[in-house]
Amino acid sequence: MAVDDLVAPGAVSRASSPPPGSASDPHRRPSLRRLKRRAGNIFTVVALLIGAAFILLPIFWIVTTAFKSPGDAFVLPPKFLFTPTLSNFNSLLSGQYNQFVDDIGHSLIIMAFSVGIALLLGVPAGYGLARSRFKGSGAITGWLIVAYIVPALVYIVPLYAIYQRLNLSGSYLSVILYYLTFELPFVVFMMRGYFSDLPNDLEDAARVDGCSRFAAFRRIMLPLAIPGLSTVTILACILSWGEFFGALIFTSSSDLTAPVAIEEYMGQTTLDWSALAAAAVFLVVPVLVLAAFVQRGFLRTAVSATQG
Amino acid sequence: MTATPAVAPTTLAPGPRQRTRLSSWLDRRFYVLATVPALVVVTAIIAVPLVIGIYLSFTNYTPVRPTFSWGGLVNYDQIYSSPTIHAAIKNTAIFAGAGIVIEMIFGLFFAVLLARKLRGISWFRVIYMMPLLVPGVASAVAWSVLFNTGNGWINYFASVVGLPQLNWAGGTHTAMPTVIIANAWAGIPIITIILLAGLLSLPREPVEAAKIDGASELRILYHITLPALRPVLAFAALFQMVNLFREFAEFAIITGGGPGLATSVLNYYVYQTTFVFGELGLGAALAVLLVGVMAVPLLVIFKLSKRGSAPKWAHEPTEA
Repeated sequence: MAVDDLVAPGAVSRASSPPPGSASDPHRRPSLRRLKRRAGNIFTVVALLIGAAFILLPIFWIVTTAFKSPGDAFVLPPKFLFTPTLSNFNSLLSGQYNQFVDDIGHSLIIMAFSVGIALLLGVPAGYGLARSRFKGSGAITGWLIVAYIVPALVYIVPLYAIYQRLNLSGSYLSVILYYLTFELPFVVFMMRGYFSDLPNDLEDAARVDGCSRFAAFRRIMLPLAIPGLSTVTILACILSWGEFFGALIFTSSSDLTAPVAIEEYMGQTTLDWSALAAAAVFLVVPVLVLAAFVQRGFLRTAVSATQG
Repeated sequence: MTATPAVAPTTLAPGPRQRTRLSSWLDRRFYVLATVPALVVVTAIIAVPLVIGIYLSFTNYTPVRPTFSWGGLVNYDQIYSSPTIHAAIKNTAIFAGAGIVIEMIFGLFFAVLLARKLRGISWFRVIYMMPLLVPGVASAVAWSVLFNTGNGWINYFASVVGLPQLNWAGGTHTAMPTVIIANAWAGIPIITIILLAGLLSLPREPVEAAKIDGASELRILYHITLPALRPVLAFAALFQMVNLFREFAEFAIITGGGPGLATSVLNYYVYQTTFVFGELGLGAALAVLLVGVMAVPLLVIFKLSKRGSAPKWAHEPTEA
C-alpha cells in the first residue's frame, strides 16, 4: 500500500512544487497562482503551529514541572528558566508517595499478561478472518465490532458482581480479564486488516509445496507480519498502560496501577504539583518512546482500520 | 462439506509425514479453528456479563445484600422520574454533541493541512499523533492544573492578553466547556489522524485533473476530496462518538461531575451510583440506558454515511 511511502519523511518533498512555468501550469497568470500557493503555505504553517502549541502545552507542563522544586511549580508567571531538580523523582521512587514503584510494577504485570494473552488468541483469529470467508465469519466480525462499541460500563457492572461472587475482586486475574475485553477485539481487528494486505500467493505457494495451513501460517505468514505485529503489540501495550476506568474499579492496594495511583495523589496532595508531574512523566515518557518505534506503522494501521 | 479423501491436499508430502484423517480434518478447518478461542473468550467476558447485566437491571442487587429480589421495572421507573438522571442525560448530550461538532470541524481542518505537501510536514504529523498515545489520566491531570483558577497557566495567559480570568472547572457555566476543551485536546488529533490516513490513500488522478482544469484548492477540496472522503468521515465520527460517550478520566479528575450536577454525565453518574453508592441494580439499568442514548446518534451517523450513493454534496458531511 502506498500510504506507507507517503508517510515516510523522504517522500514528502517528492511530489511537491512542480517546476514553475512547466507544462502543469498553463494558465494566464502564473505569478498570481504562485503567490496564492505561497500564501496558502504560510497559512498552513501558521495554523499548524498554533495547533501544535495547543497539543504540546500539557506535555510541556508535565515535563518541565516534574523537574521544578515544589515552590517553582506554583510561581506565576511560569518559570521557563529554573534550576532543574531530581528531588521529585527521588521522593516518588523512595516511596514517599504511597508505593509508586510497586504500582508501576503492577501496571507492568497486568500489561504483560493481558497483552500476551490478547496476542496469543487474537493473532490467529485475525489471520483466520482475513484469509477465509467461512460461514459466519461476517457475523464474528460484526460481533467483535459490537463488543468494541458497547460502553464498558454495561459489562463492568455485572463483572463487578460476578467477581465478588467468585472472590476474584482485587486480584490480577480480574483486571486482566477486563483488559482483554478491549485488547482482544483490538488485536483481532488490527491483525485482520494487516493480514488481508499481505499477498495470498505466498500462502498458496507454501501450500502447493506441501505445507499444512497451520505451517503456512506459522512459518511464512507470521514472520511476514512481524512489522504489523510489533505495531499492534506496542499499541496494545499503550492501551493497557494508560487504562484508568477499569483499573479504578477492579484494583485494590495490592495491585493498584500507576494511573489510579496518580488519580489518588490528585486527591491527597493537590498542592504538590511537581510530584504529580513527576508521576505523570512515568506514564507519558515510556509511551512516547515506544511510539517513536511505531511512528511509521501508525498511519498505515489507521488506514487498514478505516477500510476494514 | 463433501467428504474428500484425506490425502488429497497432501499428496506432495513425502511418505513418513503422511497425515492422519484427524490432522487433515483439523487443517481443513484451520481458519475457523483459529478464530474459535478468541471468539469464545470475547463472548465469555463480554456477552455473558452483558446478559447478566440486563438481568441485574431488573433487580435491587447490591453487594451488601447478597439475597436480592426481582424488582420489575423499579429501576427504570426511578430513571424515568429522577431529575438527577435527566440532568445527566442532558449533560451527556451536550458533551457528546458539542464535542463531536468541534472535534470534527477542527479535525478535518488540520487533516487537510497535514495532507499538503510541504517541507517539514512530517514533523507536524508526528506532533499531531502524540495525544493519541498519551494516557488520558496524564493529560487530564495536566489540564486540571493548567485550568487551576488561582495558579493555572491558562488564567495567567488570559490576564497577559487582557482576557477575563475564569473559574474554569469550578464554575457552573465554565465547567463543561473546560472538560470539552480538555477532551478536544485528544479528540481533534484522533479525527485528524484518521482523516489524514484517508486523505493520503485517495486516488490522486481526479485532483490532478481538476488542477489542470484550473480549479482552486478550495473548490477541489469541496467538490472532489470531501465527497470521496465521506466513508472515512463517517468512520471518524462514529469512532470518536463512542469515545465521547465513554469518557471518564476527564470527569473524574478535572471536575468530579461538579460543581453540583454541571458536568454529571451518564458514564460518570453510573460509576458513582454503582461503585461509590453500591446500587448495582440501578447502575445496571443506567448502563442499559447509556447504550440506548448512544445508539441514537450512532445510528444517525451510520444512516447518513450510507444514504445516497450518488453524491449530493449540498450539505456538509461533517455536520453528521
